[in-house]
Amino acid sequence: MSQALEAKVEPETVLEWIKRIGSDSSSTVPLLQAVQSEYGYLPRAAMDLIVKNSDITGRQVYGVATFYSQFRLKPVGRHIIKICHGTACHVSGADRLNTSLRHLLNIDDEEQDTAENGSYTIEQVACIGCCSQAPVMVISDEVSGNLTGANAQRALKKHAKKSEEVVANL
Amino acid sequence: MDANNLNVIVGEGTCGIAAGSKEVIEAFQKYAPEINIKSVGCVGMCHQEVIAEINDNNGNRYIYGQVTKKTVPQIIKFHKGEGEPLDENLIYSPEKQDSHKWQYLGHQTRIALRNVGNLDPTSISDYEKRDGYKAIKKIVAEMTPDQVIEEIRISGIRGRGGAGFPTHVKWDFARKSEGDVKYLICNGDEGDPGAFMDRSLLEGDPHNVIEGMLIAAYAIGATKGYAYVRAEYPLAVKNFGKAIEDAHALGVLGENIQGSGFSFDIKIKEGAGAFVCGEETALIASIEGDRGMPRCKPPFPAVKGLFGKPTIINNVETLANLPWIINNGGKAYAAYGTEDSKGTKVFALAGAIKKGGLVEVPMGTKIRDVLEDIGGGSSSGKPFKAVQLGGPSGGCIPESLFDTTIEYASINATGAIMGSGGMIVMDGSTCMVDLAKYFLSFTQLESCGKCTFCRIGTLRMRELLTKICDGEAEMSDLDTLDELAEQITKSSLCGLGQTAPNPVVTTLRYFRGEYEAHIKDKSCPAAVCKSLITHTIVPADCTGCSLCEIQCPVGAITGEKKVKGSYAIIQAKCINCGMCFEVCNSKAIQVK
Ligand SMILES: Cc1cc2nc3c(=O)[nH]c(=O)nc-3n(C[C@H](O)[C@H](O)[C@H](O)COP(=O)(O)O)c2cc1C
Ligand code: FES
Repeated sequence: MSQALEAKVEPETVLEWIKRIGSDSSSTVPLLQAVQSEYGYLPRAAMDLIVKNSDITGRQVYGVATFYSQFRLKPVGRHIIKICHGTACHVSGADRLNTSLRHLLNIDDEEQDTAENGSYTIEQVACIGCCSQAPVMVISDEVSGNLTGANAQRALKKHAKKSEEVVANL
Repeated sequence: MDANNLNVIVGEGTCGIAAGSKEVIEAFQKYAPEINIKSVGCVGMCHQEVIAEINDNNGNRYIYGQVTKKTVPQIIKFHKGEGEPLDENLIYSPEKQDSHKWQYLGHQTRIALRNVGNLDPTSISDYEKRDGYKAIKKIVAEMTPDQVIEEIRISGIRGRGGAGFPTHVKWDFARKSEGDVKYLICNGDEGDPGAFMDRSLLEGDPHNVIEGMLIAAYAIGATKGYAYVRAEYPLAVKNFGKAIEDAHALGVLGENIQGSGFSFDIKIKEGAGAFVCGEETALIASIEGDRGMPRCKPPFPAVKGLFGKPTIINNVETLANLPWIINNGGKAYAAYGTEDSKGTKVFALAGAIKKGGLVEVPMGTKIRDVLEDIGGGSSSGKPFKAVQLGGPSGGCIPESLFDTTIEYASINATGAIMGSGGMIVMDGSTCMVDLAKYFLSFTQLESCGKCTFCRIGTLRMRELLTKICDGEAEMSDLDTLDELAEQITKSSLCGLGQTAPNPVVTTLRYFRGEYEAHIKDKSCPAAVCKSLITHTIVPADCTGCSLCEIQCPVGAITGEKKVKGSYAIIQAKCINCGMCFEVCNSKAIQVK
């Protein structure tokens, strides 16, 4: 699976970002954010290009990439599901959203977070600021709240249909 | 009535969107294409989302709550002069000015939040109509920086980001620091996972925050500003970015503002998901492009901060109060609150509460009054058990202390902290040991790893709490927890480690009985800890609908469809995830 999701990095694009965002060390975070918003993760090739073409060192790129929880070093599915595990969501049953969606996507292995067919990746986040509608999740950019395990599945199925994805246990 | 004269205002904060505001707007467009639609930020009545306000041509306001695309046609019909009003959704109307729903706002005193939900955050003229940019125009024309600092001193405002440090003192340091360049940073990292005051302000009233930044910058002599905004708040970034552009165009931001010679500009920096970056020195490291790790103070940022220059960091809510203080005077602000704590504080009310949302009250209000008068009591009907203030750095205040007033000293006396404003309400269905474990897991993961006790001590505490939740602990483990808590507090460099044990310390103090039940009786009184509970199906209540079997992720439920009482749980397979309990319509699942 992961092979298929591996991104192909265009050097021109990365150079363009460096030109636009900056090549000094304070540009590290925004540059990596640009890379990730394009590829969904930080491909090694893109990080190498940044090191080669800016004042940012390899130590810094890797240090930053591994420090902030937003950054991922592994490829992700075509869509991302963020399940909120903030306090309000935790006490309102966020755990069940996780269980039910993993079940629907057939992700059994606790170490895994992406469905076998590369459709969806489940991520845990801490609070998206809709705490009074807990528990909350975000599929791609759509926020939905006041969920139960069962209607979280419904929301995912609806999204899958719209974006022509197959979820395993449909 | 002619629908051309109707204006509809829809709440489109992140919470409104989550509740389906897009569908509601589409429905208005579909059924009444001629009406004007405007979106505003979140008014803070999150429990009532989607909220739609109709203004008719007689200047009457009608506010509806829990609007869906299905209720839209009826609302439109009524305002076109046909059909019945949608009474159960009506929060406010000329005839209905004191509904219990409206009391939610009626009991509040809104200063920081004064505009949120009342203006279109993408319209600078909306903000101007509500006295916007009046304060900055006034100070550049009439006041010296020292006079501004004096006004803020009189207001008595203390930082709303958690630490409660007097704002004017900090500013005075920075004003007096030598430096060709000084920075002002708006801290919009909002790290407490359960708080959303700053999100609502950035999304719903960005110009107010910008004006607050301008006032602070003028006072300390800063020419450059950063707004550090959490990664999870895309709408805040978008609205704030637009507001910066519009403020430039209006001439209240940029070079030589209003011809006064004062220049100030703002850049947005998006966070990348690290709680510790809310801490000042870590935030600075993060903007500089490094791992967000705190450093020793002194030197304080006010002397040596961003890129080595004097820097002031203020919280979003602190900044949002400043324009009001300048316009109305420090004295007017200080008239609210108590001796120890002046002004108002915004809380994000969530959890087991009927009416969750944003609440701004004068300091000195009792916790109970916030929960009962504004929050409307418990959502489950079960009695309250505790309220959590201050998130991972804070603590739990038990119901018996709900008469505590909201001010820095009295909240600290309970062992909790004022914090940035997260207020999570809990009833009997929350296990306090599980909650303590939740927070410790959070801080342990978020520890930057620099200090040994914060890095490893929190891990040991987390392991002990896991052991307790699994029913494998001994009573002596509680003493170890106490001991670790003390050591971590004493030997951590920054606030993250110093306060990390608070959730454990306060739950141990007020809910020791729950810890003991887990250890001695191997039972979880709230029926939360998975290792200590069992799910069973009561045959007499089972209707044979098979929903539980379909939902069970591990195939632990068997039975015969449509045969009453036939379903049963295979305990050896059951993982106690609670899915069956949630889907069962006949309450046949027992959790013990
Ligand atoms: C671990 C940690 C996290 C923090 N997170 C935030 C935050 O998310 N937002 C915030 O405004 N302040 C946060 N603070 C407090 C800031 O360090 C700082 O005191 C505050 O931004 C100053 O602004 P104020 O004086 O206006 O409150 C945090 C502190 C610590 C130790
Ligand atoms: S705790 Fe989940 S949205 Fe805040």
